[in-house]
Amino acid sequence: MAVEGFSPRMVGFLCNWCSYAGADMAGTSRMSYPANIRIIRVPCSGRVDPLLIIKAFQQGADGVLIAGCHPGDCHYVEGNYYARRRLAIFRSLLEFIGIDSRRLRVEWVSAAEGKRFSNVITSFTDELVKLGPRSEVQVGA
Amino acid sequence: MAPELVQQIRDKARELLTSGAVDCVIGYGRATDGVTARPLFVYEPEKVDELIFDETCTHNLVGYLVNRKGKKTGIVVKPCDSRAINVLLNEGQISRDDVSIIGVVCDGVVETGWNRVGEAQQARCQYCHQHTPVVYDFLIGEPREESPPSAEDYAAVAEMEAKSPEEREAFWAEQFDRCCRCYACRQVCPACYCTECFVDKLDPMWVGIRVAPEENRIWHTIRAYHLAGRCSGCNECERVCPVNIPLSLLNRKMARDVEDLFGFQAGLDDKEMQPLGAFEKDEKLGIGE
Amino acid sequence: MARIGVFICHCGTNIGGVVDVARVVESARDLPQVVFVDDNKYTCSEPGQASVRDAIVENNLDKVVIGSCSPRMHERTFRNTVASAGLNPYMLEIANLREHCSWVHGHDKEEATAKAIELIRMAVAKVSRHEALFPKEAGITKRALVIGGGVAGIQASLDIANAGYEVVLVEREPTIGGRMAQLDKTFPTLDCSACILAPKMVDVGQHPNITLRTYAEVKKVNGFVGNFDVEILQRAKKVDHTKCTGCGTCWDKCPEKVDSKFDLGLGKRTAIYIPFPQAVPPKPVVDTDHCRYIKYLKFTEEGGEGKAPPQCRICEKMCPSQAIDWSQEDEVITEKFGAIVVATGFKTFDHTAYEEFGGGRYPDVITSLQLERLMSAAGPTGGEVVRPSDGAHPKTVVFISCVGSRDRQKQRSYCSKVCCMYMAKHAIMLKEHDPDVQCYIFYIDIRAGGKDFDEFAVRAQEEYGALYLRGRVSKIYPEGKKLIVLGEDSLMGRPVEIPADLVVLATGIEPSDGAAEVAQTLNISYDTHHFFVEAHVKLRPVETQMDGILLAGCCIGPRDIPESVAQGGAAASKVTDLFSQESLITDPMVAAIDPAKCSGCLLCVELCPFNAIEPGTTRDGRTIAVVNESLCKGCGLCTAGCRCGAANLRGFTQQQLLAEVASLWQ
Repeated sequence: MAVEGFSPRMVGFLCNWCSYAGADMAGTSRMSYPANIRIIRVPCSGRVDPLLIIKAFQQGADGVLIAGCHPGDCHYVEGNYYARRRLAIFRSLLEFIGIDSRRLRVEWVSAAEGKRFSNVITSFTDELVKLGPRSEVQVGA
Repeated sequence: MAPELVQQIRDKARELLTSGAVDCVIGYGRATDGVTARPLFVYEPEKVDELIFDETCTHNLVGYLVNRKGKKTGIVVKPCDSRAINVLLNEGQISRDDVSIIGVVCDGVVETGWNRVGEAQQARCQYCHQHTPVVYDFLIGEPREESPPSAEDYAAVAEMEAKSPEEREAFWAEQFDRCCRCYACRQVCPACYCTECFVDKLDPMWVGIRVAPEENRIWHTIRAYHLAGRCSGCNECERVCPVNIPLSLLNRKMARDVEDLFGFQAGLDDKEMQPLGAFEKDEKLGIGE
Repeated sequence: MARIGVFICHCGTNIGGVVDVARVVESARDLPQVVFVDDNKYTCSEPGQASVRDAIVENNLDKVVIGSCSPRMHERTFRNTVASAGLNPYMLEIANLREHCSWVHGHDKEEATAKAIELIRMAVAKVSRHEALFPKEAGITKRALVIGGGVAGIQASLDIANAGYEVVLVEREPTIGGRMAQLDKTFPTLDCSACILAPKMVDVGQHPNITLRTYAEVKKVNGFVGNFDVEILQRAKKVDHTKCTGCGTCWDKCPEKVDSKFDLGLGKRTAIYIPFPQAVPPKPVVDTDHCRYIKYLKFTEEGGEGKAPPQCRICEKMCPSQAIDWSQEDEVITEKFGAIVVATGFKTFDHTAYEEFGGGRYPDVITSLQLERLMSAAGPTGGEVVRPSDGAHPKTVVFISCVGSRDRQKQRSYCSKVCCMYMAKHAIMLKEHDPDVQCYIFYIDIRAGGKDFDEFAVRAQEEYGALYLRGRVSKIYPEGKKLIVLGEDSLMGRPVEIPADLVVLATGIEPSDGAAEVAQTLNISYDTHHFFVEAHVKLRPVETQMDGILLAGCCIGPRDIPESVAQGGAAASKVTDLFSQESLITDPMVAAIDPAKCSGCLLCVELCPFNAIEPGTTRDGRTIAVVNESLCKGCGLCTAGCRCGAANLRGFTQQQLLAEVASLWQ
């Protein structure tokens, strides 16, 4: 449910070679996007363990972004193919236990796509504002 | 089960033990309540008459094989259990040469409790289309024609999916609130053999020591994820849960997703790589599209 | 307990102008295990680095967080800084306060500062779990592979070979020379292209350190810098080059005529052929798709119906050296290399996409590269510029710029850089060929940004009478023997109609066919146009993200001959840098598997894209997985996939990433 004045808590796992570089490019091009997202650098989208995702939600994330290279262009050749499967299964499972699947967003962003990265963050932030806060936000043990 | 078939089980066990092909046969015996079943480890040929097989034999005995790697073991398995054997073979937890598999054509098992044998078949038997074990050395009973799979098989999952996210969240919050972190579900599962389970780790600490719904949620969600494409559907986890959490819902959900997305079912053979260890370059999974 | 030092960089006003650095510094003081906090104007500068060094020593710090520009910018720099103060270089974490913060949230300083504070907290949490890491040494195979025999690849090969190292140059076509061999003259000097290229080509063919493999392609590349294993497919030439003397009898006598790819369809060649007279090696190959004898063999093998094609074999009968060898088969050769230079060049945009220019239906609408072939004395018309339709000399020639460049609708929004200059060159050359010719050039801009370039373009107008019309062409249609060109002269503000004898389209530069496959084989990045991506556009223009793989020439993007030659030399210099070292220091951020936790399920063996994990056994005979650190590239697939938590990627461990997550929104 949308809540007045709600500023979503967002975390993004960005792969070093494509999406993190794309986010850097958004910076060098002075693109503008909302300041909600906190970026964690990983070598590959295939490095993202679903355990980290569910911990992020437990930590209070309203939305989690995983960004990697476009399929076929993974710096490590296959990492994003495995990530794609893991995230398909895990997002479905999270939806099943009541975490709206729109809160786990996966995007392929290349190192040249600064504008696209900025658009992704803006649209994800807007979407989360509409979705509202996660109803039960608990800080971890 | 017909008495002559039970006798076949006993005769086969006797044969395996006396010939030295195995030094233990794991099967079912009568529990101390006199009406239900319990796992039985038979080391001597003289004791094979204690082996039984009937509709109370709900246990999945395959988990015991993991600790007997390197030792020759005979085992009595129902079809669902036999799928777990394939999963463990695929993952190198047992060696095919070490096991002599007595596969039993199963008519289904009933709900049981202490000194109580239910009337109705367990839910999992009602949607089972595999009454003959998928791997065995000796078959007890005759294979029969199977009914085709139907959408109804996943009715419980579909019913949950039809609820709103808020309803689902409330439902599971209530379930996870009851969880006391006894880990009976993990202990009974053949696919849960990790030397150190993620839930027990202190560093990194994924699941806090507190027994609380938000911690329990992580335990159950990640366990279901770790079982995706590996769970043989024996449902023992749900049966042994002391607080009746419907764990089969989570595992069936994963099984259905794995079948829909990757065309894969766990344990049908021991060669095919589990889905999270494989990929198709052009597959469309609704991720990043 | 660690002693963490936090250094916030202002980066001039890049960070400091948006983020309230003083507040970030204050909030960092309260973070766990932080014992020292400071800020710097330019941390990467000499004094900046010195202050970090001094602070580490004076305060006995053992871990460092730097809040600055992107780690992709200065991680190396600051690791060196930290190492020079006596710490292990991996006891460092960088918080990206610029590209990910001040530069994108300039509109909201309050939010930017709050985010910066949090990014520092995350970095401190991560670094608190860092451990000292120690690189290992690996050997280097001091042989270079150059893919692509155009001028960039030729230059790279010569420079590496002259430095004393072995080079294998692999070229897909039967000869080296690339696009430059197809040109007549080069701007702005009007040198004869083949004349300046041929000596270099001959040098390559004769150099003792260069093994030239033409008619070959790279099929598979495994390994890593210093230790690449490469599979090269050597296609069967059907000619034994050790016997062949290049006398030319065979291609002189061959009866089968095929459209010449080198002459871009304007002329013919034979089935056994060399693409052009100065080809290196100057020895022919048999085009097995068109050779009559090969067709005969296929016919008899597959049991075709009807009359068999003729057995021919004239080349074999006529060859004085018995060099024809029909038994040759395609061969896969495996070799080891320490470095690879990619110089796969370009092709031109297919102008048939422009229906308004005839869509390829009008023979007298040609491309600029085709015009080069007409102008070339060794070309299909012996250097006579004539219309393909009727062989007449054109008197009115219209040039159209930016065909497949600067055109969003055709998904080619980039400029191809060289066309403005070569259109001026063409106007000059055509006037030299025929003083009666009148050239019209439809342009958007005149891009002549090199040395003597603008003077050259002005000469074309002032001395050679080329008429430049600023405008686009909307349609070309035939009328009798002429082609009516309808365009606009936007400076005069009126439409223009020119009855042309010949229209030349300046077609855009794009990567050669198969570029994407080459990139995927080498595992290097490419963009939407399939140009290969440099490691850093400004500062590392010939390197890729893959260590040991270099780039040169138009495979990176449109550029001219001097730039391609310079890049060939630059790439060679990177290779010789590498080869001059005794051994290679490998990245220590690799995976390790804890044997005590590993259950031997071997899922990680499946997952690893580099085959870096293998089954092994413990002393008590349990199966476990073991990582080969030389092959591990540090992707972390194993770590994320391991249910038991036995696999862990150093530098991005489970503990480090969880610490970052756990520090969020405190």
